[in-house]
Amino acid sequence: MANAHSPVLVAQGVGQIASNFLREVGSVFWFIMHTFEETLERIQKGRVPFRAASFFRHTERAGVDSVPLAGLVSFFLGLTMALLTGYQLQRFGTERLIPGLVAISFTRELGPLLTGIMLAARIGAAFTAELGTMQVSEEVEAIEAMGIGPLRFLVAPRMLALFLLMPCLSMVSNIAAVFASSLVCKAYFSIAFPYFLDLVKDSLLIRDIITGILKSFLFGLLIAAIACYRGLTVKGGAAGVGTATTSSVVTAITTVIGFDTLYNVIYTTFYPT
Amino acid sequence: MTTPAHMVELRDVSMQFEEKKVLDGFSLKIEPEERVVIMGQSGSGKSTLLRLILGILRPNSGSIFFKQFEITRLRRRKLQQVRRHIGMVYQYSALLSSRNVRDNVALPLEELTDKSRDEIDKIVDEKLELVGMKESKDLLPDELSGGMRKRVALARALVLEPELLLLDEPSAGLDPVIASVIDELIISLSEKSKVTSVTVTHEMESAFRIATRMAMLYQGKIIEEAETEEFKQSKNPVVAQFLSGSTEGPILEGSLDAITKK
Repeated sequence: MANAHSPVLVAQGVGQIASNFLREVGSVFWFIMHTFEETLERIQKGRVPFRAASFFRHTERAGVDSVPLAGLVSFFLGLTMALLTGYQLQRFGTERLIPGLVAISFTRELGPLLTGIMLAARIGAAFTAELGTMQVSEEVEAIEAMGIGPLRFLVAPRMLALFLLMPCLSMVSNIAAVFASSLVCKAYFSIAFPYFLDLVKDSLLIRDIITGILKSFLFGLLIAAIACYRGLTVKGGAAGVGTATTSSVVTAITTVIGFDTLYNVIYTTFYPT
Repeated sequence: MTTPAHMVELRDVSMQFEEKKVLDGFSLKIEPEERVVIMGQSGSGKSTLLRLILGILRPNSGSIFFKQFEITRLRRRKLQQVRRHIGMVYQYSALLSSRNVRDNVALPLEELTDKSRDEIDKIVDEKLELVGMKESKDLLPDELSGGMRKRVALARALVLEPELLLLDEPSAGLDPVIASVIDELIISLSEKSKVTSVTVTHEMESAFRIATRMAMLYQGKIIEEAETEEFKQSKNPVVAQFLSGSTEGPILEGSLDAITKK
Protein backbone atom coordinates (compact mmCIF):
# COMPACT_ATOMS: atom_id res chain seq x y z
CA MET A 1 0.00 0.00 0.00
CA ALA A 2 2.77 2.33 1.04
CA ASN A 3 4.70 1.40 -2.11
CA ALA A 4 1.71 2.20 -4.28
CA HIS A 5 1.64 5.67 -2.82
CA SER A 6 5.36 6.26 -2.63
CA PRO A 7 5.77 8.09 -6.01
CA VAL A 8 2.93 10.37 -4.93
CA LEU A 9 4.57 10.90 -1.55
CA VAL A 10 7.91 11.66 -3.19
CA ALA A 11 6.25 14.14 -5.56
CA GLN A 12 4.45 15.68 -2.59
CA GLY A 13 7.70 15.94 -0.68
CA VAL A 14 9.49 17.56 -3.61
CA GLY A 15 6.58 19.93 -4.11
CA GLN A 16 6.64 20.84 -0.43
CA ILE A 17 10.39 21.54 -0.51
CA ALA A 18 10.06 23.60 -3.69
CA SER A 19 7.15 25.58 -2.29
CA ASN A 20 9.01 26.23 0.99
CA PHE A 21 12.09 27.29 -0.95
CA LEU A 22 10.15 29.73 -3.11
CA ARG A 23 8.35 31.10 -0.05
CA GLU A 24 11.68 31.71 1.67
CA VAL A 25 13.16 33.41 -1.41
CA GLY A 26 10.08 35.64 -1.64
CA SER A 27 10.23 36.45 2.08
CA VAL A 28 13.90 37.46 1.93
CA PHE A 29 13.19 39.59 -1.14
CA TRP A 30 10.33 41.39 0.62
CA PHE A 31 12.46 41.71 3.71
CA ILE A 32 15.09 43.60 1.68
CA MET A 33 12.40 45.75 0.01
CA HIS A 34 10.74 46.65 3.33
CA THR A 35 14.10 47.54 4.85
CA PHE A 36 14.75 49.89 1.90
CA GLU A 37 11.24 51.32 2.19
CA GLU A 38 11.51 52.05 5.93
CA THR A 39 14.97 53.55 5.49
CA LEU A 40 13.93 55.75 2.55
CA GLU A 41 10.82 56.95 4.39
CA ARG A 42 13.05 58.12 7.18
CA ILE A 43 15.44 59.87 4.79
CA GLN A 44 12.47 61.57 3.08
CA LYS A 45 11.54 63.05 6.45
CA GLY A 46 14.99 64.63 6.51
CA ARG A 47 16.27 62.46 9.34
CA VAL A 48 19.20 60.09 9.48
CA PRO A 49 17.92 56.50 9.17
CA PHE A 50 20.20 55.18 11.91
CA ARG A 51 22.91 56.48 14.16
CA ALA A 52 26.40 56.71 12.69
CA ALA A 53 27.77 55.04 15.82
CA SER A 54 25.60 51.99 15.20
CA PHE A 55 26.76 51.77 11.57
CA PHE A 56 30.45 52.13 12.47
CA ARG A 57 30.12 49.51 15.22
CA HIS A 58 28.94 47.03 12.60
CA THR A 59 31.53 48.06 10.01
CA GLU A 60 34.24 47.59 12.60
CA ARG A 61 32.99 44.18 13.58
CA ALA A 62 32.15 42.97 10.08
CA GLY A 63 34.97 44.69 8.25
CA VAL A 64 38.01 45.66 10.24
CA ASP A 65 37.85 42.67 12.57
CA SER A 66 37.50 40.30 9.59
CA VAL A 67 40.65 41.56 7.85
CA PRO A 68 43.05 39.11 9.59
CA LEU A 69 40.85 36.11 8.77
CA ALA A 70 40.21 37.10 5.14
CA GLY A 71 43.86 38.05 4.66
CA LEU A 72 45.32 34.93 6.22
CA VAL A 73 43.04 32.40 4.51
CA SER A 74 43.59 34.07 1.12
CA PHE A 75 47.33 34.28 1.71
CA PHE A 76 47.56 30.54 2.32
CA LEU A 77 45.30 29.73 -0.58
CA GLY A 78 47.27 32.01 -2.92
CA LEU A 79 50.46 30.34 -1.74
CA THR A 80 49.13 26.84 -2.37
CA MET A 81 47.60 27.76 -5.69
CA ALA A 82 50.82 29.32 -7.00
CA LEU A 83 52.88 26.39 -5.78
CA LEU A 84 50.72 23.61 -7.20
CA THR A 85 49.92 25.24 -10.53
CA GLY A 86 53.54 26.42 -10.77
CA TYR A 87 54.94 22.90 -10.75
CA GLN A 88 52.50 21.81 -13.44
CA LEU A 89 53.17 24.84 -15.62
CA GLN A 90 56.93 24.49 -15.15
CA ARG A 91 56.80 21.20 -17.05
CA PHE A 92 55.72 23.15 -20.11
CA GLY A 93 57.98 26.11 -19.37
CA THR A 94 55.02 28.40 -18.82
CA GLU A 95 55.49 29.30 -15.15
CA ARG A 96 55.26 32.96 -16.09
CA LEU A 97 51.51 32.36 -16.31
CA ILE A 98 51.28 31.90 -12.51
CA PRO A 99 50.91 35.62 -11.61
CA GLY A 100 48.07 36.13 -14.09
CA LEU A 101 46.38 32.89 -13.12
CA VAL A 102 46.30 33.71 -9.40
CA ALA A 103 45.41 37.37 -9.98
CA ILE A 104 42.52 36.65 -12.36
CA SER A 105 41.11 33.73 -10.41
CA PHE A 106 41.15 35.71 -7.19
CA THR A 107 39.83 39.05 -8.46
CA ARG A 108 37.07 37.46 -10.52
CA GLU A 109 36.13 34.46 -8.48
CA LEU A 110 37.93 33.26 -5.39
CA GLY A 111 38.34 36.59 -3.59
CA PRO A 112 34.63 37.48 -3.45
CA LEU A 113 33.59 33.83 -3.00
CA LEU A 114 36.00 33.07 -0.15
CA THR A 115 35.24 36.35 1.58
CA GLY A 116 31.53 35.69 1.17
CA ILE A 117 31.80 32.25 2.74
CA MET A 118 33.97 33.54 5.58
CA LEU A 119 31.68 36.48 6.32
CA ALA A 120 28.57 34.31 6.15
CA ALA A 121 30.07 32.08 8.83
CA ARG A 122 31.63 34.80 10.93
CA ILE A 123 29.27 37.76 10.70
CA GLY A 124 26.07 36.17 9.39
CA ALA A 125 26.00 33.84 12.39
CA ALA A 126 26.64 36.75 14.76
CA PHE A 127 23.85 38.87 13.23
CA THR A 128 21.36 36.00 13.41
CA ALA A 129 22.23 35.09 16.99
CA GLU A 130 22.12 38.72 18.10
CA LEU A 131 18.81 39.58 16.46
CA GLY A 132 17.36 36.18 17.36
CA THR A 133 18.12 36.74 21.03
CA MET A 134 16.55 40.19 20.83
CA GLN A 135 13.51 38.64 19.18
CA VAL A 136 12.96 35.97 21.84
CA SER A 137 13.49 38.43 24.70
CA GLU A 138 10.81 40.72 23.19
CA GLU A 139 13.33 43.51 22.54
CA VAL A 140 12.41 43.69 18.86
CA GLU A 141 8.73 43.87 19.72
CA ALA A 142 9.44 46.60 22.28
CA ILE A 143 11.22 48.64 19.58
CA GLU A 144 8.22 48.17 17.30
CA ALA A 145 5.82 49.07 20.13
CA MET A 146 7.61 52.40 20.60
CA GLY A 147 6.82 53.31 17.00
CA ILE A 148 10.38 52.73 15.77
CA GLY A 149 10.76 50.70 12.57
CA PRO A 150 12.82 47.64 13.58
CA LEU A 151 13.99 47.04 10.00
CA ARG A 152 15.34 50.56 9.68
CA PHE A 153 16.77 50.58 13.20
CA LEU A 154 18.24 47.08 13.42
CA VAL A 155 18.63 45.71 9.90
CA ALA A 156 19.59 48.74 7.77
CA PRO A 157 22.90 49.54 9.54
CA ARG A 158 23.94 45.88 9.42
CA MET A 159 22.98 45.52 5.79
CA LEU A 160 24.76 48.70 4.73
CA ALA A 161 27.87 47.78 6.74
CA LEU A 162 28.18 44.39 5.07
CA PHE A 163 27.24 45.77 1.64
CA LEU A 164 30.00 48.40 1.76
CA LEU A 165 32.64 46.36 3.56
CA MET A 166 32.41 43.22 1.48
CA PRO A 167 34.21 44.67 -1.60
CA CYS A 168 36.95 46.06 0.70
CA LEU A 169 37.45 42.63 2.24
CA SER A 170 37.49 41.03 -1.21
CA MET A 171 40.27 43.43 -2.13
CA VAL A 172 42.19 42.45 1.00
CA SER A 173 41.72 38.83 0.00
CA ASN A 174 42.93 39.49 -3.57
CA ILE A 175 45.99 41.41 -2.44
CA ALA A 176 46.91 38.78 0.15
CA ALA A 177 46.65 35.97 -2.41
CA VAL A 178 48.62 37.84 -5.08
CA PHE A 179 51.27 38.77 -2.53
CA ALA A 180 51.54 35.13 -1.42
CA SER A 181 51.91 33.97 -5.03
CA SER A 182 54.63 36.59 -5.61
CA LEU A 183 56.60 35.02 -2.73
CA VAL A 184 56.23 31.55 -4.26
CA CYS A 185 57.17 32.87 -7.71
CA LYS A 186 60.30 34.46 -6.30
CA ALA A 187 61.33 31.52 -4.13
CA TYR A 188 60.54 28.59 -6.44
CA PHE A 189 60.27 29.88 -9.99
CA SER A 190 62.78 32.76 -10.04
CA ILE A 191 60.23 35.39 -11.04
CA ALA A 192 61.43 38.70 -9.55
CA PHE A 193 58.90 40.99 -7.94
CA PRO A 194 58.94 43.77 -10.63
CA TYR A 195 58.50 41.16 -13.39
CA PHE A 196 55.75 39.52 -11.33
CA LEU A 197 53.92 42.86 -11.17
CA ASP A 198 54.30 43.39 -14.92
CA LEU A 199 52.84 39.94 -15.58
CA VAL A 200 49.89 40.66 -13.27
CA LYS A 201 49.25 44.02 -14.94
CA ASP A 202 49.44 42.46 -18.43
CA SER A 203 46.96 39.71 -17.64
CA LEU A 204 44.49 41.50 -15.40
CA LEU A 205 41.70 43.49 -17.04
CA ILE A 206 39.73 46.29 -15.37
CA ARG A 207 36.67 44.20 -16.21
CA ASP A 208 37.94 41.39 -13.96
CA ILE A 209 38.27 43.77 -11.04
CA ILE A 210 34.86 45.36 -11.62
CA THR A 211 33.24 41.92 -11.89
CA GLY A 212 34.72 40.92 -8.54
CA ILE A 213 33.63 44.14 -6.87
CA LEU A 214 30.07 43.91 -8.19
CA LYS A 215 29.85 40.33 -6.97
CA SER A 216 31.09 41.37 -3.55
CA PHE A 217 28.41 44.05 -3.19
CA LEU A 218 25.77 41.47 -4.07
CA PHE A 219 27.16 38.87 -1.66
CA GLY A 220 27.35 41.42 1.17
CA LEU A 221 23.72 42.37 0.69
CA LEU A 222 22.57 38.74 0.49
CA ILE A 223 24.50 37.58 3.56
CA ALA A 224 23.23 40.47 5.69
CA ALA A 225 19.65 40.05 4.47
CA ILE A 226 19.58 36.29 5.10
CA ALA A 227 21.25 36.62 8.51
CA CYS A 228 18.96 39.41 9.70
CA TYR A 229 15.85 37.74 8.27
CA ARG A 230 16.65 34.48 10.06
CA GLY A 231 17.32 36.40 13.27
CA LEU A 232 14.08 38.34 13.22
CA THR A 233 11.97 35.29 12.43
CA VAL A 234 13.31 33.15 15.27
CA LYS A 235 10.71 31.13 17.14
CA GLY A 236 11.12 28.79 20.08
CA GLY A 237 13.49 30.41 22.59
CA ALA A 238 17.18 29.58 22.97
CA ALA A 239 16.91 26.40 20.89
CA GLY A 240 15.26 28.43 18.14
CA VAL A 241 18.17 30.87 18.12
CA GLY A 242 20.60 27.95 17.71
CA THR A 243 18.60 26.43 14.87
CA ALA A 244 18.21 29.79 13.14
CA THR A 245 21.94 30.52 13.40
CA THR A 246 22.88 27.18 11.83
CA SER A 247 20.25 27.65 9.15
CA SER A 248 21.44 31.20 8.50
CA VAL A 249 25.04 30.12 7.88
CA VAL A 250 24.04 27.19 5.68
CA THR A 251 21.55 29.28 3.68
CA ALA A 252 23.95 32.21 3.27
CA ILE A 253 26.85 30.03 2.09
CA THR A 254 24.63 28.10 -0.31
CA THR A 255 23.09 31.31 -1.62
CA VAL A 256 26.51 32.93 -2.12
CA ILE A 257 27.76 29.92 -4.09
CA GLY A 258 24.49 29.69 -6.03
CA PHE A 259 24.49 33.38 -6.94
CA ASP A 260 28.16 33.18 -7.86
CA THR A 261 27.39 30.42 -10.35
CA LEU A 262 24.39 32.32 -11.72
CA TYR A 263 26.48 35.47 -12.03
CA ASN A 264 29.22 33.60 -13.89
CA VAL A 265 26.75 31.98 -16.26
CA ILE A 266 25.15 35.34 -17.11
CA TYR A 267 28.51 37.08 -17.32
CA THR A 268 30.13 34.51 -19.62
CA THR A 269 27.03 34.55 -21.84
CA PHE A 270 27.48 38.26 -22.48
CA TYR A 271 31.29 38.42 -22.24
CA PRO A 272 32.55 34.98 -23.30
CA THR A 273 36.28 35.83 -23.25
CA MET B 1 -19.13 52.28 10.84
CA THR B 2 -19.11 54.92 13.58
CA THR B 3 -15.89 56.20 15.08
CA PRO B 4 -15.93 55.91 18.87
CA ALA B 5 -15.09 58.71 21.34
CA HIS B 6 -13.49 56.28 23.78
CA MET B 7 -9.77 56.03 24.44
CA VAL B 8 -9.78 52.38 23.39
CA GLU B 9 -12.57 50.25 22.02
CA LEU B 10 -12.46 46.60 21.08
CA ARG B 11 -15.47 45.43 19.07
CA ASP B 12 -16.20 41.76 18.78
CA VAL B 13 -12.53 40.82 18.50
CA SER B 14 -11.60 37.20 17.84
CA MET B 15 -8.07 35.89 17.84
CA GLN B 16 -6.90 32.38 17.19
CA PHE B 17 -3.42 30.87 17.25
CA GLU B 18 -3.55 27.76 15.07
CA GLU B 19 -6.11 25.56 16.84
CA LYS B 20 -6.35 27.63 20.03
CA LYS B 21 -9.01 30.31 20.21
CA VAL B 22 -7.67 32.99 22.58
CA LEU B 23 -10.27 35.72 22.17
CA ASP B 24 -13.77 34.94 21.04
CA GLY B 25 -16.01 37.92 20.34
CA PHE B 26 -14.20 40.10 22.87
CA SER B 27 -15.62 43.61 23.39
CA LEU B 28 -14.44 46.34 25.76
CA LYS B 29 -14.55 50.13 26.00
CA ILE B 30 -11.99 52.13 27.91
CA GLU B 31 -12.69 55.77 28.71
CA PRO B 32 -10.04 58.52 29.04
CA GLU B 33 -8.25 58.69 32.40
CA GLU B 34 -9.58 55.32 33.47
CA ARG B 35 -7.34 52.73 35.09
CA VAL B 36 -8.72 49.47 33.80
CA VAL B 37 -7.38 46.20 35.14
CA ILE B 38 -8.08 43.07 33.16
CA MET B 39 -7.80 39.89 35.16
CA GLY B 40 -7.68 36.35 33.98
CA GLN B 41 -5.87 33.07 34.32
CA SER B 42 -2.40 32.56 32.91
CA GLY B 43 -2.67 31.91 29.21
CA SER B 44 -6.15 33.38 28.98
CA GLY B 45 -5.09 35.95 26.35
CA LYS B 46 -4.38 38.99 28.51
CA SER B 47 -1.00 39.80 26.95
CA THR B 48 -2.41 39.06 23.49
CA LEU B 49 -5.00 41.74 24.19
CA LEU B 50 -2.32 44.37 24.79
CA ARG B 51 -0.49 43.34 21.62
CA LEU B 52 -3.73 43.69 19.69
CA ILE B 53 -4.27 47.23 21.02
CA LEU B 54 -0.72 48.11 19.93
CA GLY B 55 -1.30 46.61 16.50
CA ILE B 56 1.58 44.17 16.93
CA LEU B 57 -0.91 41.38 16.33
CA ARG B 58 -3.87 41.56 13.96
CA PRO B 59 -7.13 39.92 15.06
CA ASN B 60 -8.83 37.29 12.95
CA SER B 61 -12.01 39.38 13.11
CA GLY B 62 -13.40 42.46 14.83
CA SER B 63 -12.18 46.05 15.14
CA ILE B 64 -9.88 47.81 17.57
CA PHE B 65 -9.91 51.58 18.00
CA PHE B 66 -7.45 53.87 19.74
CA LYS B 67 -9.22 57.24 19.90
CA GLN B 68 -10.40 57.88 16.33
CA PHE B 69 -7.89 55.49 14.75
CA GLU B 70 -8.94 52.01 13.77
CA ILE B 71 -5.76 50.13 14.63
CA THR B 72 -6.83 47.08 12.67
CA ARG B 73 -6.97 49.07 9.42
CA LEU B 74 -3.97 51.35 9.78
CA ARG B 75 -1.02 51.05 7.45
CA ARG B 76 2.45 50.58 8.89
CA ARG B 77 3.53 54.22 8.73
CA LYS B 78 0.38 55.56 10.42
CA LEU B 79 0.47 52.75 12.96
CA GLN B 80 4.01 53.76 13.93
CA GLN B 81 2.81 57.34 14.46
CA VAL B 82 -0.12 56.19 16.61
CA ARG B 83 2.11 53.94 18.72
CA ARG B 84 4.05 57.01 19.86
CA HIS B 85 1.00 57.94 21.94
CA ILE B 86 0.95 54.54 23.64
CA GLY B 87 3.48 53.37 26.23
CA MET B 88 3.97 49.67 26.84
CA VAL B 89 5.61 47.97 29.81
CA TYR B 90 6.39 44.32 29.11
CA GLN B 91 6.13 41.54 31.66
CA TYR B 92 9.86 40.84 31.39
CA SER B 93 10.70 44.52 30.78
CA ALA B 94 12.17 43.96 27.27
CA LEU B 95 15.00 46.43 27.81
CA LEU B 96 17.65 46.48 25.09
CA SER B 97 20.39 44.42 26.71
CA SER B 98 23.25 46.08 24.81
CA ARG B 99 22.31 49.60 25.98
CA ASN B 100 22.63 51.02 29.45
CA VAL B 101 19.68 52.37 31.42
CA ARG B 102 20.13 55.93 30.14
CA ASP B 103 20.31 54.84 26.51
CA ASN B 104 17.30 52.56 26.91
CA VAL B 105 15.15 55.37 28.28
CA ALA B 106 16.53 57.87 25.76
CA LEU B 107 15.88 55.61 22.76
CA PRO B 108 12.36 56.80 21.85
CA LEU B 109 13.44 60.44 22.23
CA GLU B 110 16.54 59.97 20.08
CA GLU B 111 14.69 58.10 17.38
CA LEU B 112 11.37 59.88 17.26
CA THR B 113 11.96 63.49 18.27
CA ASP B 114 14.25 66.33 17.24
CA LYS B 115 15.31 67.12 20.79
CA SER B 116 18.92 67.98 21.53
CA ARG B 117 21.10 65.75 23.66
CA ASP B 118 20.77 68.14 26.62
CA GLU B 119 16.98 68.14 26.38
CA ILE B 120 16.96 64.35 26.12
CA ASP B 121 19.23 64.02 29.15
CA LYS B 122 16.94 66.31 31.12
CA ILE B 123 13.82 64.26 30.27
CA VAL B 124 15.63 60.96 30.93
CA ASP B 125 16.79 62.20 34.33
CA GLU B 126 13.30 63.39 35.16
CA LYS B 127 11.69 60.06 34.26
CA LEU B 128 14.37 58.01 36.00
CA GLU B 129 13.94 60.20 39.08
CA LEU B 130 10.20 59.49 38.93
CA VAL B 131 10.81 55.73 39.14
CA GLY B 132 13.72 56.10 41.59
CA MET B 133 16.38 54.86 39.16
CA LYS B 134 18.46 57.96 38.50
CA GLU B 135 21.49 56.56 40.29
CA SER B 136 21.57 53.47 38.04
CA LYS B 137 21.58 55.17 34.67
CA ASP B 138 25.02 53.91 33.66
CA LEU B 139 24.23 50.26 34.44
CA LEU B 140 23.36 47.65 31.86
CA PRO B 141 20.03 45.78 32.16
CA ASP B 142 21.92 42.61 33.15
CA GLU B 143 23.22 44.40 36.23
CA LEU B 144 19.71 45.26 37.45
CA SER B 145 17.23 43.26 39.51
CA GLY B 146 13.79 42.36 38.10
CA GLY B 147 12.12 45.23 39.96
CA MET B 148 14.70 47.75 38.79
CA ARG B 149 14.30 46.61 35.20
CA LYS B 150 10.58 47.01 35.42
CA ARG B 151 10.96 50.54 36.75
CA VAL B 152 13.33 51.40 33.90
CA ALA B 153 10.82 49.91 31.45
CA LEU B 154 8.16 52.14 32.97
CA ALA B 155 10.42 55.20 32.63
CA ARG B 156 11.03 54.27 28.98
CA ALA B 157 7.29 53.92 28.36
CA LEU B 158 6.72 57.39 29.83
CA VAL B 159 9.37 59.46 28.01
CA LEU B 160 7.11 60.35 25.10
CA GLU B 161 4.30 61.41 27.48
CA PRO B 162 1.84 58.75 26.27
CA GLU B 163 -1.91 59.14 26.53
CA LEU B 164 -2.36 55.42 27.03
CA LEU B 165 -0.19 53.16 29.13
CA LEU B 166 -0.35 49.39 28.68
CA LEU B 167 1.10 47.34 31.50
CA ASP B 168 1.67 43.61 31.32
CA GLU B 169 1.91 42.17 34.84
CA PRO B 170 3.64 45.27 36.25
CA SER B 171 4.05 43.90 39.75
CA ALA B 172 4.56 40.19 39.07
CA GLY B 173 7.69 38.88 40.73
CA LEU B 174 8.38 42.08 42.67
CA ASP B 175 8.68 42.45 46.42
CA PRO B 176 5.57 44.00 48.05
CA VAL B 177 7.20 47.38 48.65
CA ILE B 178 8.42 47.85 45.06
CA ALA B 179 5.08 46.51 43.80
CA SER B 180 3.31 49.22 45.81
CA VAL B 181 5.70 51.88 44.50
CA ILE B 182 4.89 50.91 40.93
CA ASP B 183 1.16 50.79 41.66
CA GLU B 184 1.23 54.24 43.23
CA LEU B 185 3.20 55.57 40.29
CA ILE B 186 0.52 54.31 37.91
CA ILE B 187 -2.18 55.94 40.04
CA SER B 188 -0.33 59.26 40.25
CA LEU B 189 0.29 59.25 36.50
CA SER B 190 -3.39 58.96 35.77
CA GLU B 191 -4.30 61.60 38.37
CA LYS B 192 -1.60 64.15 37.52
CA SER B 193 -0.86 63.54 33.84
CA LYS B 194 -4.32 62.24 32.84
CA VAL B 195 -2.79 59.03 31.49
CA THR B 196 -5.25 56.22 30.75
CA SER B 197 -3.94 52.83 31.71
CA VAL B 198 -4.78 49.24 30.89
CA THR B 199 -3.15 46.73 33.19
CA VAL B 200 -3.33 43.00 32.81
CA THR B 201 -2.48 41.02 35.89
CA HIS B 202 -3.50 38.23 38.19
CA GLU B 203 -1.90 39.87 41.22
CA MET B 204 -5.02 40.54 43.25
CA GLU B 205 -3.66 43.10 45.70
CA SER B 206 -2.05 45.20 43.01
CA ALA B 207 -5.14 45.01 40.81
CA PHE B 208 -7.48 46.33 43.51
CA ARG B 209 -5.05 49.10 44.37
CA ILE B 210 -4.68 50.39 40.80
CA ALA B 211 -8.08 49.84 39.23
CA THR B 212 -10.91 52.27 38.78
CA ARG B 213 -12.66 49.55 36.79
CA MET B 214 -12.00 45.84 36.49
CA ALA B 215 -12.83 43.22 33.94
CA MET B 216 -12.50 39.46 34.01
CA LEU B 217 -11.35 37.63 30.88
CA TYR B 218 -12.48 34.03 30.75
CA GLN B 219 -12.63 31.68 27.77
CA GLY B 220 -11.96 34.52 25.34
CA LYS B 221 -14.70 36.83 26.57
CA ILE B 222 -15.25 39.49 29.23
CA ILE B 223 -17.54 37.74 31.68
CA GLU B 224 -17.67 40.52 34.29
CA GLU B 225 -16.92 44.21 34.09
CA ALA B 226 -17.51 46.60 37.00
CA GLU B 227 -16.14 49.32 39.26
CA THR B 228 -13.60 47.92 41.70
CA GLU B 229 -15.86 47.61 44.77
CA GLU B 230 -18.69 46.17 42.75
CA PHE B 231 -16.28 43.69 41.12
CA LYS B 232 -15.15 42.45 44.53
CA GLN B 233 -18.77 41.59 45.37
CA SER B 234 -19.44 39.88 42.05
CA LYS B 235 -21.81 36.95 42.16
CA ASN B 236 -20.35 35.49 38.99
CA PRO B 237 -19.04 32.04 40.05
CA VAL B 238 -15.88 32.32 37.89
CA VAL B 239 -15.00 35.76 39.31
CA ALA B 240 -15.82 34.64 42.86
CA GLN B 241 -13.60 31.57 42.49
CA PHE B 242 -10.79 33.57 40.91
CA LEU B 243 -10.86 36.20 43.66
CA SER B 244 -11.01 33.66 46.46
CA GLY B 245 -8.39 31.39 44.88
CA SER B 246 -10.56 28.39 45.69
CA THR B 247 -10.16 25.07 43.88
CA GLU B 248 -13.93 24.57 44.01
CA GLY B 249 -15.78 26.17 41.14
CA PRO B 250 -16.13 26.35 37.38
CA ILE B 251 -12.52 27.39 36.56
CA LEU B 252 -10.84 24.04 37.12
CA GLU B 253 -13.93 21.94 36.44
CA GLY B 254 -12.89 18.78 34.65
CA SER B 255 -9.18 19.44 34.86
CA LEU B 256 -9.25 19.24 38.67
CA ASP B 257 -10.90 15.83 38.50
CA ALA B 258 -8.10 14.71 36.19
CA ILE B 259 -5.46 16.02 38.61
CA THR B 260 -7.00 14.36 41.67
CA LYS B 261 -7.44 11.05 39.84
CA LYS B 262 -3.71 11.02 39.15
